[in-house]
Amino acid sequence: MSYEAVGMPRHAAGAKPKSKERKPFLLRLGRIKPYIYLLPALVSIGYWIYKPLLQTFQLSIYQWNLLPTSPKQFVGLKNFNQLFSLPEMGIALWNTLIYTLGVIPFSLIIPLVIAIATDNIGRKASNIYRALIFLPMIMAPVAVSSVWRWIMHPTNGILNKALTDWFHLSEPIRFFTDEHWAIWSITFITGWKLLGFSTLIFSAAMTGINKEYIEAAKIDRAGSFQIIWHVLLPLLSPTILFMLMMSTLFASEWSFSYINVLTQGGPFNTTTNIYYLLWTYGFQSFNIGASSAAAAVFFLGFGVLAWLFMRLTRKLSFFDN
Amino acid sequence: MENAGRRAGLYTSAALKHASLVALALLAVFPLYWMIVTSLKPETEVFTSSLIPLHLTLDNYVHAWNAIPMGRMLTNSMVVAVIQTAAQLITSIFAAYAFTRWEFRGSSFIFGLIALTWLVPFQVIMIPNYVAISGFGWRDHLAGLIVPNIASAFAVLQLYNAFKSYPKTLIEAARLDGASDMGLLWRTIMPNLKAPVASIGILLFITSWNDYFWPLLVTTKLENTTIQKGLQMFISSDGNMWGALMAATTIASLPVLLIYLMLQRQIIDSFVKGGLK
Repeated sequence: MSYEAVGMPRHAAGAKPKSKERKPFLLRLGRIKPYIYLLPALVSIGYWIYKPLLQTFQLSIYQWNLLPTSPKQFVGLKNFNQLFSLPEMGIALWNTLIYTLGVIPFSLIIPLVIAIATDNIGRKASNIYRALIFLPMIMAPVAVSSVWRWIMHPTNGILNKALTDWFHLSEPIRFFTDEHWAIWSITFITGWKLLGFSTLIFSAAMTGINKEYIEAAKIDRAGSFQIIWHVLLPLLSPTILFMLMMSTLFASEWSFSYINVLTQGGPFNTTTNIYYLLWTYGFQSFNIGASSAAAAVFFLGFGVLAWLFMRLTRKLSFFDN
Repeated sequence: MENAGRRAGLYTSAALKHASLVALALLAVFPLYWMIVTSLKPETEVFTSSLIPLHLTLDNYVHAWNAIPMGRMLTNSMVVAVIQTAAQLITSIFAAYAFTRWEFRGSSFIFGLIALTWLVPFQVIMIPNYVAISGFGWRDHLAGLIVPNIASAFAVLQLYNAFKSYPKTLIEAARLDGASDMGLLWRTIMPNLKAPVASIGILLFITSWNDYFWPLLVTTKLENTTIQKGLQMFISSDGNMWGALMAATTIASLPVLLIYLMLQRQIIDSFVKGGLK
């Protein structure tokens, strides 16, 4: 999702003057031109995003097992009534909250601290650091899973070897099979991939801040913490809100690949989340009705959250100028 | 005295800055370093924690290459990523052109429809899309991987920003010179937007190359799938072949890593500008 795009419908929605006078025939024909240019993108997005979205809502009131030959049975709102009594729903919701909150140190807190602390560090050095810390972002999730699986392997992984040497553990940590550790391991990997990217986002925001504000505060004898609290954080608040919104909306989507490759939701469902649940309902227990009903509810829920975030961003956007 | 103290303070703060960045860089790079190092170690050495490989070998690569149809899957990934990127660029160039060139009824509504797709998580629409692909008989077929992704809302939005920055007066001038709509797009605007189009293209290529979820859903056979899905199957199938697994992981990451090596600055810039999803 684009950083600018969040605010973009606003710009696009600016009133456009419409001329009412009659145009010659050729000009009127010309009017369908933009639609022709838009057609390929619109057809594809309509067919592969909006049509299936409507179908998901439709499927949510049927019972079906994904077999083309077996009939869909209309069940009304039964899928929705049963939704929260479904097995694993409670733990999936709880885990989603853990993923969301657990990712915030990586997407927000540490990057913010580092970006503020390392502002104006010299161009050359900063370019090298940027290139290095950004690296995880371009790696494929499956490759990332593979590497961390090796590093965090209970007996042969270098992390456990190091931990055993340093802290004299009595037994190695089973990062992906111990039910107390697994969700934190997945959260860590999700966060690791985001850390550098988020730091660069905040650094870019820091660079964009007019340094006169800071100079003015210094002349007024403000201390570093006062400057951070009263000057920098308010100026950075649009970016902070943006990253917070991204974390809230997408933490569970980002962690999906790691869950699927590394734990398959286990041990004892301790790493499953709501999106992984949609996957297991749909393609493992073939309960299409339950998956679709849950998908519909989560979609609307996250839609409301996104709307709230955008309203909040709009309210705070006067800091921008 | 006070001056020296202040200078010392400045040095400490600079040292602290660098220390925190070095730590961050190490955390980011070490796993990749460890991946490559492990992949180059002989079997006897893989389980030692020596940070540098003492005896370099390519055995793991040979093993990985033979264990799964690596060449075939890499080709599949390349075909999918190249076609998908090209298609996404073309559809979004046309769309962005329409939005910037004309004022037309419903433009902000259509723009909103495209922009709002980021609110639709893949998992919410996967079942109907899976059914559609099955209906076309495109499961285990590259068309099933490519066709659903011939347009990208992300690309439309990014290109729209690039197009918007192109001066309207130059468009007007070319139009008065009698340029056709297509000519205007390809001969007047595009030559000036090569850089942003290229960096958006790179981003699309990386995204497509790294995609795992859709191949997971619509392909089952190793010969018909992309390298990401193949790698995942290799991960879950092997027992303790860490050297070979790291070799396979390195191969799967290589194209993207090479692109990054050459163009990191552009990639970082367009990611930071462009976003997350």
